[in-house]
Amino acid sequence: MRARLIHQDDLPRLVARLRRDYEVVAPFRGRGRDTAFEVVTDRNQDQLALHLPNPVYPPKRYALPHIERLLRIRRTDGGYDLQPAYDETPRAIFGIRSCDLAGILHLDSFYLGRDFRDDHYARRRRNLFLVNVVCTDVEEDIDENCFCVCTDTGPAAREGFDLQLMDLGQGEWMVVAGSPAGEKLLEEPFFRRGGPEHIRRRRAILTGVRAQFKDMTSWFAATVRYVSRGKVLESTWQEIGRRCLECGGCTYLCPACTCFTVSDRQTGPDTWERVRLWDACALSGFTRMAGGHNPRKAVHDRRNRRFFRKLAHYFIQRELSMACVGCGRCVDTCHGDIGMPSVVEMIRRATVMEETRHVPSA
Amino acid sequence: MSHPPESLYLPKVAVLDRVVDEIAEVKTFYWHFEDPAEQAAFKRFRPGQFAQVSIFGVGEFPASLPPSPTEDETFFTIRRVGSCTEALHALKPGDRFGVRGPYGNGFPMEEYEGRNLVFVAGGIGLIPLRSCIIYAMAHRERYGRIQIFYGARTPRDLMYLPDLKRWEQAAGIECYLTVDRPDETWRGHVGVVGSLFRKPDVRMAVENTTAFVCGPPIMFRFVIQDLKGMGFEDRHIVSTLERYMKCGVGKCGHCCIGVAYVCVDGPVFTYEQIRKLGEEI
Ligand SMILES: Cc1cc2nc3c(=O)[nH]c(=O)nc-3n(C[C@H](O)[C@H](O)[C@H](O)COP(=O)(O)OP(=O)(O)OC[C@H]3O[C@@H](n4cnc5c(N)ncnc54)[C@H](O)[C@@H]3O)c2cc1C
Ligand code: SF4
Ligand code: FES
Repeated sequence: MRARLIHQDDLPRLVARLRRDYEVVAPFRGRGRDTAFEVVTDRNQDQLALHLPNPVYPPKRYALPHIERLLRIRRTDGGYDLQPAYDETPRAIFGIRSCDLAGILHLDSFYLGRDFRDDHYARRRRNLFLVNVVCTDVEEDIDENCFCVCTDTGPAAREGFDLQLMDLGQGEWMVVAGSPAGEKLLEEPFFRRGGPEHIRRRRAILTGVRAQFKDMTSWFAATVRYVSRGKVLESTWQEIGRRCLECGGCTYLCPACTCFTVSDRQTGPDTWERVRLWDACALSGFTRMAGGHNPRKAVHDRRNRRFFRKLAHYFIQRELSMACVGCGRCVDTCHGDIGMPSVVEMIRRATVMEETRHVPSA
Repeated sequence: MSHPPESLYLPKVAVLDRVVDEIAEVKTFYWHFEDPAEQAAFKRFRPGQFAQVSIFGVGEFPASLPPSPTEDETFFTIRRVGSCTEALHALKPGDRFGVRGPYGNGFPMEEYEGRNLVFVAGGIGLIPLRSCIIYAMAHRERYGRIQIFYGARTPRDLMYLPDLKRWEQAAGIECYLTVDRPDETWRGHVGVVGSLFRKPDVRMAVENTTAFVCGPPIMFRFVIQDLKGMGFEDRHIVSTLERYMKCGVGKCGHCCIGVAYVCVDGPVFTYEQIRKLGEEI
């Protein structure tokens, strides 16, 4: 991977360069600590910031939109005309965090892998340029709910980006290219060469940032083992289930959730579109079948499902990535305090207690 | 597995040819693709696979393929339960709808060669098994004994009557029918489907035998108990699972049971696999 330096004051030039080829989206500040990804325009481009809280609504939607048109349906004389709909807009995400990037890589292995390749996803993804930013500002970039160190997805992504930006302080940013398209951009005149001193600074900063996560020992590996081996007690799942209000927030904000539902809607007297919409296994309608039979009737069965899908070794192997990226959004949003780290902790504590209960005392 | 270069979710337009009443709320819909090339490609489906049926403007739903690839016609047998199935029931011959597929693993018919086949169906559970039965009969020499046990609530709930008549009379296969509640016309056996196994004139195949079980959950549980009691191993009991499905191609997540995406890993599973899914069925 090739690396260069760019001066803080030249970052807008990089954005302007990207805007020649792409629709660029980037995080902007709203009120208070609110932030959101928006399209960069001539009017808002000078408000661009890279150190700010990660937006609650994840940039996943540029790879898998919340509502996506799959098909245009037109009734003709005695028949139907069907046209698949694709979005092939060249788009760049400027300032995607490492956790959210890992989310998109997870979607890649899910939607492009296995028996069937999802063409709607593939075409949008092929036109997506990713500028990753390493989280270094412990006041702004990182908050107490981040646990990317536990999921091994951050604070600095190792792969999957086209360009990676990292603030080295003193107005200098390191830029790493992770793809041929990214390398090509490094030829722009506002990039300079760096030296061993910059590498040292990068390493020192990363070590410092990782130390911020010191009390975030969420025991992921142990919990993956317990869940995969079916060792989690029914009573623990029930306890987790009791706390779920079934709002679906965790699934809608998750950068790695993949489930959707499909619906036809009328767009004219003889036209319809078939769309897919994000769906949530947290909601009780998710598995309800014709006749009203619902195999996951109890709340805790659905909670169980969500965490099983994310933590079972079988699925981690299948996609070669875990469907949890440590972004902490489920922690922020959950009214019942059963975001991923709490669940990991509850499972670990209950399982360990159960195991030690059976150890005969000396 | 081959996949088309275009959208995974693009149905092909099909034409409804004729509709046959089966039982209350259930009809069989014969159809063909508008495009003959599509029809030829589709005809390579395997017994036990399914398709996604589109009623444009209403939605899409999964439906088993009851025909065998050895037969000429393509059709679905559909119970009216909700918006899509209702809309399909309202179609007239000549109307258009959409089909994509075939999907799912289907029955590994080669693996059963040389074995006896026991089919146990309850109610509309005969729909997914029909394909397999017809296929086995079309290749009669490849299989050992073929026994069919089929039960319905009342005589009027027995479906595929012309098939049942043929199977009862066909040489080389045994077909036993039962109903829970007889009417004045019924001369046959009365009782749940499992009670057929204990009829004095029935000699169940058990050794070197694969059993196929499809029906309502309660029937499934009892039949499994019966079969296991007779000595069937879990890996030689086969069923098809049904789940709410939105995509049929392993993406929407609706059909998951434990580690399985029923639409791609199933719908055919052995009972041994079902027990290891990690979630109740
Ligand atoms: C692999 C597979 C093969 C299948 N093969 C066949 C087959 O060969 N023949 C066949 O007849 N069926 C088959 N089915 C079942 C069939 O797919 C369903 O009956 C069908 O999806 C129903 O669709 P619908 O739009 O008509 O019903 P929907 O309108 O989706 O509703 C169906 C039922 O769901 C419940 N429901 C839905 N929404 C709500 C709500 N908001 N509140 C309360 N209840 C609700 C109701 O009970 C309703 O009647 C198969 C299913 C699978 C998975
Ligand atoms: S955010 Fe919390 S309360 Fe809402 S569905 Fe998820 S687990 Fe349940
Ligand atoms: S039906 Fe969509 S994943 Fe199986």
